[in-house]
Amino acid sequence: MHPNLTRRQWIAGSAGAAFLSGCKTNLPPAAPADPPRVSIVRAPAYDQSLYATMRGILAGHGLDVRGRTVVLKPNLVEFEPQSTINTHPLLVHAAREAFLAAGAASVQIAEGPGHRRNTLDLADAAGYFRTIPKFEDVFVDLNFDDVTRVRPLIQFSGIQKLYLTNTILGAGLLVSMPKMKTHHLVGATLSMKNLFGTVPGGIYGWPKNALHWAGIPESIADLHAVYPRKFAIVDGIVGMDGNGPIQGDPKAAGVVVSGRDSLAVDATCCRIMGIDPFRIGYLRLAAADLTRIAEQSIVQTGETIAAVAAPFKLIPEFQHLRLVT
Amino acid sequence: MSIEALIGRQNPDGGWPYSRGGSWTEPTVYAIMGLLSVDESKSVQRGLAWLGSIARRDGGWPPRAGVDMSTWVTALVAILGPRNIGDAPYRRAIHWLLDTIGEESAFVYRLREWLLGNSTPEDDGRFPGWPWVPSNAGWVVPTSIAILALDKEDRRQPSDRVRRRVDAGRQFLLRRTCDDGGWNYGSSHPLGYPSHAYPETTGLALAALRGVRSRRVDRALVAAERFLAECRSADALNWLRFGLRVHGRLPAGYCTPSGVEFRTVPEASLDLVMTAAEQGRDFFWG
Repeated sequence: MHPNLTRRQWIAGSAGAAFLSGCKTNLPPAAPADPPRVSIVRAPAYDQSLYATMRGILAGHGLDVRGRTVVLKPNLVEFEPQSTINTHPLLVHAAREAFLAAGAASVQIAEGPGHRRNTLDLADAAGYFRTIPKFEDVFVDLNFDDVTRVRPLIQFSGIQKLYLTNTILGAGLLVSMPKMKTHHLVGATLSMKNLFGTVPGGIYGWPKNALHWAGIPESIADLHAVYPRKFAIVDGIVGMDGNGPIQGDPKAAGVVVSGRDSLAVDATCCRIMGIDPFRIGYLRLAAADLTRIAEQSIVQTGETIAAVAAPFKLIPEFQHLRLVT
Repeated sequence: MSIEALIGRQNPDGGWPYSRGGSWTEPTVYAIMGLLSVDESKSVQRGLAWLGSIARRDGGWPPRAGVDMSTWVTALVAILGPRNIGDAPYRRAIHWLLDTIGEESAFVYRLREWLLGNSTPEDDGRFPGWPWVPSNAGWVVPTSIAILALDKEDRRQPSDRVRRRVDAGRQFLLRRTCDDGGWNYGSSHPLGYPSHAYPETTGLALAALRGVRSRRVDRALVAAERFLAECRSADALNWLRFGLRVHGRLPAGYCTPSGVEFRTVPEASLDLVMTAAEQGRDFFWG
């Protein structure tokens, strides 16, 4: 075992290697040895203070990315720069700068939008070209990236094999950077649902309809198990509520929520949004042991949930998801 | 992107990437179309050889080499016609298209939905579209491309079976127009909420509806004209030019606005194809 790796990192890396090699394996996804830590940091606006905020978040989580290939995966959906539909480019740039400052060998930005095929035009309209210098040089369109066929370690859906992108499979650290939004099919879209964008539209189409037919919660859980080396940074500065993830309304929550454990991060986001994480299908599936997403199982740093709670509006079909306190 | 730059993006295996990386079927077909439009033959032959090398036994084409399923790109390859891809592969591709329908139109699926009380007017099964990937639902883009391929085949060699699928596919499109006049990628009212039209899908669907007279088409043409004036996406503008031109609504002497960037192989190639078509060499309808 590499002296700088924890046992958890080693197990995760080994599982990933087996996965990449296409071997059949019964290895479970790396189970967190320690209670997951999730930070909630106040961030009232998209301004220059985000650069210090991001450096603080990385330091707070003790992320050692020296020499590693980091891939930031924002959520790009629509050509609506004035809306809150896409992950804000300033947050992504701040994250890129922070990871580079922390010693990452490279920091790419990668996304495969599920609705629109002209990704670069979409990124342009969303402000990424204006905000991130030489954006096209650091960006990978995951819809058209080179792919490898893999078999998920654990299958919740019926998908026996998936073609996934080499950029994501080869990442030393995959950083999921979603927008904090409600979702009209699964309740909430956060760091785990954001992984849909890692599935290449060039193979599966727009939207990634094969995942819908296989079951959305199940497919989210599959993808969560596929990528062992993840970190999550959720853009909750201004999210979207109501009929998200496209036609909802802006909702200022004023937070950035981060952590290594996607389940814990998403469960915490749900609580901030006033959504009961135990009622979110993909969290239940992926957690298996539901104590993993219980509030008392998660070490919260920074702000408390109660201090930043900002109940998101829910469409009538999802009123049953409302967190009862 | 210049013609030289387009040729320069060709991979050693003969195919083209979308922007960079390995070869994919879709950009390779568009690059071939674009280069044929300007009489560049050497790169075209290498591209056609690559396409021939990845054809699948079921008659379809995969989205790229090494992918073990045939998908919607089969229709794109078929548009190249028998003269370019060979008569037997072409015939197999047409049969693959005729045998492929959106899963929501399949009998077993409709029966199950009916038993569950989930049937909606949109999926009564009479007007099947085409999916991106077999066993998935029909969507606007693959349906439009399949119509373009089969309509070209029907003009080459008229057939009731082909004509019926084209007509049904057109009904599929007409039943999915959005309230604002054009097309989204799929349903006009997913989960009961209205969706907005997209420029690129509106242009493409209009192209597939060439010759169709309907109030829905009229409203879509108005939406397309609005998109053409406002939109700055090269991909969208290519398809809008196509859709408006086949209905005789592209402004005379139209030029792509300055500042529009043709960043990818499909964007640059389709610009060549559309420009040639506007000068009388129509690859899709010729």
